[in-house]
Amino acid sequence: MPEATLPSVLVVDDNHDNADIVRQYLEAKGYPVSVAYSGEEALSLFESVRPSIVLLDVMMPGRDGWEVCRLMKQHPSHDRGVRVIMVTALDQWDDKRQALQSGADDYVTKPIDLPRLVRTVERNAAALQGAA
Amino acid sequence: MSQPLILTDIDDASIRDAAVLLESWEVVVRRDRELAAAIEDVPGVRVIVTTTDNPNALRDVVERARARALPVIVGCANDVARRRAIELHVDEWFLLPASPEEIASRVRSALARVTPAAAALADRIERVEYEQMLYDHLTGLPTLPVMIERSRHLIKERGELIVLYFNFVRYSKIEEIYGWEKLDAVLETTAQAVREFLDASTLRSSRILVSFTNDDDFVFFHVPPQGVAAVTDAEITELVSNLQEHVGGRIEAVHGEEIASLFEIYVGRSHVYYNPKIRLQRLIYRGIREAANAAKSVEERERGRRVDDLKRSLRERAVYIDLHPILVADTRQVYGYEALARGTLRSLRSPEIMFEVAAEADLLWELGRLCRSKAIEAMKQRLTRGEFLFLNVDPHDFVDPEFSQLDAEVADPQRVVIEITERTAIKDYPKFRERLKALRQRGYRFAVDDAGSGYAGLGSIANLEPDFIKLDISLINCIDTNFIKQNLVETMVRFANDQGAKVIAEGVERAEEYETVKGLGVHLVQGFFLHRPSENALARTTGETPVVREADTIARVGGS
Repeated sequence: MPEATLPSVLVVDDNHDNADIVRQYLEAKGYPVSVAYSGEEALSLFESVRPSIVLLDVMMPGRDGWEVCRLMKQHPSHDRGVRVIMVTALDQWDDKRQALQSGADDYVTKPIDLPRLVRTVERNAAALQGAA
Repeated sequence: MSQPLILTDIDDASIRDAAVLLESWEVVVRRDRELAAAIEDVPGVRVIVTTTDNPNALRDVVERARARALPVIVGCANDVARRRAIELHVDEWFLLPASPEEIASRVRSALARVTPAAAALADRIERVEYEQMLYDHLTGLPTLPVMIERSRHLIKERGELIVLYFNFVRYSKIEEIYGWEKLDAVLETTAQAVREFLDASTLRSSRILVSFTNDDDFVFFHVPPQGVAAVTDAEITELVSNLQEHVGGRIEAVHGEEIASLFEIYVGRSHVYYNPKIRLQRLIYRGIREAANAAKSVEERERGRRVDDLKRSLRERAVYIDLHPILVADTRQVYGYEALARGTLRSLRSPEIMFEVAAEADLLWELGRLCRSKAIEAMKQRLTRGEFLFLNVDPHDFVDPEFSQLDAEVADPQRVVIEITERTAIKDYPKFRERLKALRQRGYRFAVDDAGSGYAGLGSIANLEPDFIKLDISLINCIDTNFIKQNLVETMVRFANDQGAKVIAEGVERAEEYETVKGLGVHLVQGFFLHRPSENALARTTGETPVVREADTIARVGGS
């Protein structure tokens, strides 16, 4: 039996500092992490890396998080098992409704609380296991 | 021209089948370390598919392939192999074991990527989007441009083409009620069932099925093979009725009766004759338009018939009541029943359709009156003392001058909960509230139906001061794996507790959903997980008129 590997995570944030902090934190917890600094780059990496979990910032120039989420969830070559976690500054009813509409599975609010972020990633990793 | 080759170290059916899917590709197998050498020796290689778990062998393959600008696709046995493949920047990878479809699709996308050597980032994205346009992501069916290219040759050869346009009328309704995830699942089932059916039909000889991206309709192109006569109208009529039954049955088996009752197809057909003077695309688009119009007129005819059915039903009071139990989440004891009115005639079996027809024919008040009176009758006959009756009332009904008739029929208003849907816009709000107040004073209670279906937050719900809040079904579907839904429901429960209202989760279909909503503190639950539709049908046959039983049988035969 090979050692259990943690699911790969793609972190998407146009703020480089934020993205890098999250990457370091998740890598320290043992997750393989890739980083994209824009929606466009995220979609490209999504194809080659095919991550299991995506942490997606909502407010980005160009393609925003909602649109990227929708494209990822509809990607033709993906088995739709990907878990998308939206990162948003807003915590209102209609934000969450919109997150549902774009196909997201979970969300975390900004400013990011790192231990909480990891718990969120963990529960989505567990949901992936349950589905497999 | 020689056949394109896949050079691989996989020696099994999956790769050979993938080659077949790619249309007249061939496979050359070279085991282990011989693979790398073969890249230079075998002429005609277009792509390399390897499953080697030896890192050096893989590096060797990648380097030699790169020297010849050939794409490399790696079948990975585990996560370590996958990461190694990504580090080496191979063109595509897949996890073993893989289906022929998956391998073929990897080959396609690897080839598409290789063609423009230094494809810019933006191009790559565009390609992803174009790919989505070419193949419907749910059904896997090719879209129109792909189909035209593929069949150009066939059509020219045969000189004619038959276009069938399948119009699935109520799929947007499914999305509205159950959410897009459900619609996606239903579309998947539909496409699969349609494919199954056509595979076994007389049209199997040419299976060119396409779908419009992001639409609910399918277009089917049939090019009869040489020496076979084109299908006749009679054959198509029969085919369509069999298809409707087949797909309806599959949807009922997978998604339940409620959704199956919304399912309806109208099919139109057109005949296109090849004309070298007119561009093929234009001929085909014209044919599609004609077939779509034909489908539309079938639909309109059917609508006219339905209005007649409704008028007859109103005259004969041909409506029966299905009682859906609402249970206490913790104890699973019956708390009350929601009355759902269904037409006795098969065409009006679904409440959604029956009310839709009534709205078109401007008979909403009449239908509302009949349904309410039948529901009160059912309450008297079938409910015990402590049980509540949940009664659907459209805001439109409150302005019916005869609405107060309800009072004359209801013996104890304290046991009646009036459900008002959040979906219907309330026009005259102050007047509406006034009527609510008057009813409340007489003892009636209120439930807000479909709560959380829109973006509107909790404010609009608070305005109605409900005793019960019924959560929108789309919030319950798959709530066990969606944490946003859990969060929304949690918020709603907290809000309800503050307001002294009870939350009802509707559409609980699976044990996981039940456990999740119970855990979130939802007070009452309703759905097929708690009562199977068959029990319901059984209860319905007691004490009903023979007409009902007959309709019931028809319904079951139709659904199986």
